[in-house]
Amino acid sequence: MDEAIDVNGCLQRWKKGDESAAEELIRHLYPVISKIVRTHLPRRDDEKDLVQEILMKTFSRLHQYKGDAPITHWVSRLALTTCLDRLRAQKIRPEVRRSDLTPEESDVFDAAWLTGSSPDAGDAIAARDLVDKILSSLSPEDRSLILMVDLEGRSLQEISETTGWSISKIKMRLFRVRPQLRQMIHKLEERK
Amino acid sequence: MNTNEDKNWHDLLLRSTPTFAGETVPPYGFVTGTLARLRTETLQQEEFERIGWRALLASLAALVIAATVTLSMNYMDRGGDFEPGVRSLVQMENIQVS
Repeated sequence: MDEAIDVNGCLQRWKKGDESAAEELIRHLYPVISKIVRTHLPRRDDEKDLVQEILMKTFSRLHQYKGDAPITHWVSRLALTTCLDRLRAQKIRPEVRRSDLTPEESDVFDAAWLTGSSPDAGDAIAARDLVDKILSSLSPEDRSLILMVDLEGRSLQEISETTGWSISKIKMRLFRVRPQLRQMIHKLEERK
Repeated sequence: MNTNEDKNWHDLLLRSTPTFAGETVPPYGFVTGTLARLRTETLQQEEFERIGWRALLASLAALVIAATVTLSMNYMDRGGDFEPGVRSLVQMENIQVS
């Protein structure tokens, strides 16, 4: 992705005050940041503001970027850290009850767990809201970890590079979080 | 999770996948807004740095002045035989000290 623009050239031009270089960088980094924010933050959060905040952080810390890895990797880590900070700052929600689900979410849950019917493309938003609710009882780090593994299918090595956590720490977290997730789903089933 | 639950969980994630896709192009006005904010923050940062340097220089100047006054007073008082309290008493009572 970094080959699409001359990142080093842009950085040099930006240091000299060339605003068009900043614009190129913003357009280049936007898809990467948007993807991370959309994945790691609940759907209803204002992602546009957060993407802008991450871009501001990126520009204020550009002097720390050494250029030994693609800038998208460096920015991904910054974006993920910012998302985790945002999640930590949010009020911790109590565990989700069956009665907390909207009728649409309830239908999606029934379809997935009770009737085992095949996914319907039309209820993606309800499914996403249900995913967010199920994951809301987990810590921000565990939530992001589950999404990186189960949704994005990333390897432990990739997760380690993005988060800075050791492989053993990731394994330990996964080992601990799976039963929590299972327990959460069981509780939703019981309250039917 | 057992196999069935695992499958259900993955089905649910699969169902929600479209909502996780990021945007490839910034929305209208986003780049302009971000550049404007970047410009403002850069100016603010430069201003803070300027204020910081001025405050630092002012503090250093005050420190140098205070040190100079203290040292010069100390130098002027070096010849006195009395402690400051005793000297003021001597001056007040106009006692002749040979």
